[in-house]
Amino acid sequence: MNHFDYQELLSAYALDVIEPGDGQALAEHLVTCAECRDELIALREAGSLLAHASPAAVPGDHVRAQILDKVRAEAVPSKPAQVVQMPQRSKTVWPNLLRIAAAIAFFALLAAVVVLWRERQRDRDLMARQREALTLLNSNAATMIQLSGTPTAPGARATLVFDKESGRAVLMTAGLPTPATDKAYEVWFIPKGRSPMPGKVFSVDSSGHAMITDQMPSEAMNGAVIAITVEPKNGSAAPTGAIYLASPAS
Amino acid sequence: MQAEPSQISDNDLLKAIARGDEGALADCYDRYRLILFSLILRILHDRHEAEDVLQEVFLQVWRRARDFDESRGRAFTWLVTIARSRALDRLRAGSARARLATGAEQEPRESMGDAAADAVRSEEGEIVRRALAELPAEQRRTLFMAYFEGLTQTEIAARLGDPLGTVKTRMRTGLMKLRELLRDQSRS
Repeated sequence: MNHFDYQELLSAYALDVIEPGDGQALAEHLVTCAECRDELIALREAGSLLAHASPAAVPGDHVRAQILDKVRAEAVPSKPAQVVQMPQRSKTVWPNLLRIAAAIAFFALLAAVVVLWRERQRDRDLMARQREALTLLNSNAATMIQLSGTPTAPGARATLVFDKESGRAVLMTAGLPTPATDKAYEVWFIPKGRSPMPGKVFSVDSSGHAMITDQMPSEAMNGAVIAITVEPKNGSAAPTGAIYLASPAS
Repeated sequence: MQAEPSQISDNDLLKAIARGDEGALADCYDRYRLILFSLILRILHDRHEAEDVLQEVFLQVWRRARDFDESRGRAFTWLVTIARSRALDRLRAGSARARLATGAEQEPRESMGDAAADAVRSEEGEIVRRALAELPAEQRRTLFMAYFEGLTQTEIAARLGDPLGTVKTRMRTGLMKLRELLRDQSRS
C-alpha cells in the first residue's frame, strides 16, 4: 500500500468502522507516520461532532446516584506509574573501550544503513528516513549514544545518533523481539533528575530491526539517559512496561 | 435539586477525576449526561439499556481518566468515543428490539426528547446540526450509518446498493467537511 492508500483509510479508521485487515496495515503505518497520526486525531475530533446529531434525551434521575454509589464502592483508582528506576552501571574501565567500540560501530552502522537502502528501494517512507540517517551520521555535530539490552532483552542493542544543533535524531535497533499485537515500543528521554519524556512509539520488522527518526527534547541534549520500554500499542504518557534497552547513566 | 456544575475546564475535570475526586466525576456527569445519553439512546433505541450503558461509561471514565491525554484530542471527543464504543458493543451483543429499530434510511427525528433538554443544548451542537443539514443527503446518511450503527463501508454499500468507491468518497468528503467546521470554529 502506498501513502495515498493509507490516507484513504483514515476516515474509516477515525470512525472505528475499518475492516480488520485494513486496520492492521494502517496501525502499523501509523507507528512511523506522524502526518497520518495528526490527520487521524483531527478526523476523530470531527467524527465525534456527529454525536450532536442525536435527538435530545434525558436520563432518569436515579442514574446519577447509582453511578456515584458504584464509584464509592470501588477502590481508589491506582496511582500513576512511578518514575522508572534505571539500571545502575558499574564505573570501571568502560569509557575508553566504549569509545573504541563506538568508532568501529559507527562505520558498521554506516555500512548497515547502505545495505538496508539497497534492499528496500521500493519503500518510500523507509528511504526518506535512511536518507536522514545518513545525513546525520555524516554531520559534524552528530553525537552517538549506545543502548544495551537489559536482562529482559539481553540480545537487543540500539544506537541513537542526534544532531546537537537541530535535535534531529535517528534511532536504530537490532535484536528486539516482536511485541504482542496490542503493544509497541516507546522511546524515553530521561534528563538528569527529571521524569522520562516520551519519544516515538514504534515496532520492529520480522528481523527485530527498526529505524526511526525522532526529535531530542532540548532538556535531553546533555547527559540524558535514553531508554526503550514496551507499552500499549498507542503509546503511554509515562513508562509503564518493562525496560528493554537503556543507555548508561553518566 | 442538583448543584450547578463547576466552571473548571473539561481537562482539569478529568485530571481531578484521575486523582480520585468523586465530586469531579459528579460534575462531569452533570456536564455530559445529556449529550452522552442522547448519543447512547440514538444508538440503542432503548431507554433502559441506554441508562445501563451510561452508567458503564461513567465507571469507565472513573477508572481510566488518567489515560486521557489532552495532546491527543479534546475531552469531549474522549468521552463521546467511550460512550459510542460501549453503546455499539451493547448493540452488537444485543437485543433484537434495538436492531429492528435501526434502518438504512433512518435519520434522527428532531426533538423526540425533553423540551428542557432541547433548551440547554450547546451552541456547538446547533452549529454542527446546521452544518450537517447542509451536507448532501448521501454524505450525511453514510456518516450516520457509520457513526450510529457502526457499519463498515462494505456494509453500507451493500445496504444502499451503491458502489464501495462511492461510499468511501462520501465518507471521506463528509468527514473532511466536519473537520473544516472544527477549524473554522477554533478560529472564530
